[in-house]
Amino acid sequence: MCNILYCCDKFGTLLRWDLQESTTTRRGFTLDSYHSTTTKFGAIFYFARENWKADMKFKAFLTEHGVSLLERRFLPALDKMGKICHLFLTRDHAIFLHNLLNGDGVQCIAQFRKQALFDDYRISSQNEDRIAFAIDVSLLLRAVRSSVSICTEFGNGPTANRLQIKLVKKLPLNCTQPMPFLTFETKGYKSAVVQDVPISKPLSRAEVLELQTALDLAQDLPQTLVQVPDLNQLQNFVDRMKHVGDLLNVSVSKYGDLHVQISTTLITLGAEFRKLLVIGEQAESPSDDRNLSAQTRSERAISRGDAQRVQVSVKHFSRSLQCHLAKPDCTFYGIASQGSCLTVIFQFFIPGTHQTDKSISLHCRLPVLDPGSN
Amino acid sequence: MSSSAVEAEAPDLVCQLDSVQGMVDALSAVRWKRHQDAVVELSEHGVVLIVEDTGCLQAKVYLQRELFVRYEYNAEGRPRFGVSLGLFVDCLNSFSAPGRSSSIQIQYPGPDMQLLLKSVDSHDACIYAEIRTRIPDTISWDYNFEPAGGTPLTFTVKVLYSLGVIISAALKEAIDDLEWPGSSIQIIVQPDPPCVTFKGEGHGDLQIDFTYYVNTDLVIAFHCDHRVSYRYKYKFLRAITSNLPSSVIKDNRGSKLSIGRGGMLKVQHLVSVARAAAASHPHVDSAGHQQPSRIAYIEFFVKSEVDENN
Repeated sequence: MCNILYCCDKFGTLLRWDLQESTTTRRGFTLDSYHSTTTKFGAIFYFARENWKADMKFKAFLTEHGVSLLERRFLPALDKMGKICHLFLTRDHAIFLHNLLNGDGVQCIAQFRKQALFDDYRISSQNEDRIAFAIDVSLLLRAVRSSVSICTEFGNGPTANRLQIKLVKKLPLNCTQPMPFLTFETKGYKSAVVQDVPISKPLSRAEVLELQTALDLAQDLPQTLVQVPDLNQLQNFVDRMKHVGDLLNVSVSKYGDLHVQISTTLITLGAEFRKLLVIGEQAESPSDDRNLSAQTRSERAISRGDAQRVQVSVKHFSRSLQCHLAKPDCTFYGIASQGSCLTVIFQFFIPGTHQTDKSISLHCRLPVLDPGSN
Repeated sequence: MSSSAVEAEAPDLVCQLDSVQGMVDALSAVRWKRHQDAVVELSEHGVVLIVEDTGCLQAKVYLQRELFVRYEYNAEGRPRFGVSLGLFVDCLNSFSAPGRSSSIQIQYPGPDMQLLLKSVDSHDACIYAEIRTRIPDTISWDYNFEPAGGTPLTFTVKVLYSLGVIISAALKEAIDDLEWPGSSIQIIVQPDPPCVTFKGEGHGDLQIDFTYYVNTDLVIAFHCDHRVSYRYKYKFLRAITSNLPSSVIKDNRGSKLSIGRGGMLKVQHLVSVARAAAASHPHVDSAGHQQPSRIAYIEFFVKSEVDENN
């Protein structure tokens, strides 16, 4: 009996299939399903080209600091941004992305340099060592949380109870096809626990390109950013004012004024925060503006070109404030050029200092409901 | 100064409140539906807010001028205007911040007959609001409370509050429990034994007695000449206690019940509108009781279903 078959797939690629080796092929394809037909040349096997490639690999160890960052701060915050997010892994970064590929909701980007979370980080793929897939944030949080509770045993040596995370393909019960998972493995002194978090099929090359493009666009910084003096105060206010209306007008001025307002036929309710720290383009507030009402002051600043105003959904604004769960040290608001979106940037300091920790970044972009006035 | 037509007159009322939360609590006590139109009446004595339901239930909130840190009244007569209660309360609530006392200024009317509000205690953060008002409909009935017979039929029920996490008042609890039997609740007041009874019959029967002398910590005063019995719709009784603020329970307040001519039920609550830091407030005496000037009076009037008085 012949052990070697030469096959031709639908795309015309000639492959050599060694039956004894079971499913691997010369090109590194994993055969999950195939059709066969008998011709006068013998059996010919047709198989579908898979996105999943056997040489797509990801394996890393989460550091104690990384676990703490994710479990206590970032995953609870990201869980509020949306149920499902994309996890985009590259040679240097791990990035959590919400709503980057669909237009409607609040976009959220949490980017970590690999050293901020991982040790011994290994990644490889045929797409420049980039891997991306969709994952349920609450399942991810649950897996991290239960791994933490297991890691209370002290074993021998530094690797005794490290949390390993890797990409695998497994055949779950009641399934005929293997499915991809992000697996958490904890080895304690006496027990080992494996948790599989189901993930989507990894994104294709084209989808990864789309994601990368959206990510590059989302990194665009507004020209003027104002710092929120008290995030709790703002959140408390927005939580209460959202009962009054659905649409929020937000204006940011170069003088350091942040003005949020709900305006309906029955009520106008707003708050103005003045003399905030400004990053980027700034200007001196004209002295005769001092005694005006907040509304008039904003209007004048806009007409001078010193401020921008956009309208966003109150629910989106309130949701983006849930990022306070990540415990940022500073929060900034800015309006992107042409009023295309409202950006909120959360900054984190290196613990014990006032220096920005550049290995972590978190920001949200809120869709604008109305063409903003410039 | 020349008085031209363009020159602004002093507004009817400019007042300042040092704790918004108290006002939110007092007004929330009369919220029983999502959409309620309220009528607000201003006078030199203070502010009264009136809400009504189908001519059978009316509630009034009295905010005397002594509750305000500042009360400048310049109107002739008593201006009245209509406002959405829910919107007004939600708006006031936006000025409130937990753990901080928040002062606001309220002014009426604005240039467009609006109600104007703004925060006054902040340092570079300013909250403001403008609420549209309307010309109010005439209140369909303005009940002048008359005692039944020649003698006033009044009793005071002091409600029991349990300390701790779960707060419940005996009256509120009784009315909550009466939800189960049915839609019409009978209130019976009799002199011998001196007792107020709440009775519901429907999906089962439930009778709750508050007896003077027996439940001395629940009933602190009682007066009744002859037996009276009236029925009231459950949903109206429910409205009376469903939104009692927690401060009423913490302060161990009593709610006064009276039945007047034709079975009109009047229930009066006292709501403290003092600041959170009331312990250091000069008005609080050593017994911990608030002086009357820091109390808002809430009155409910409920028409009875059938006059069963014999």
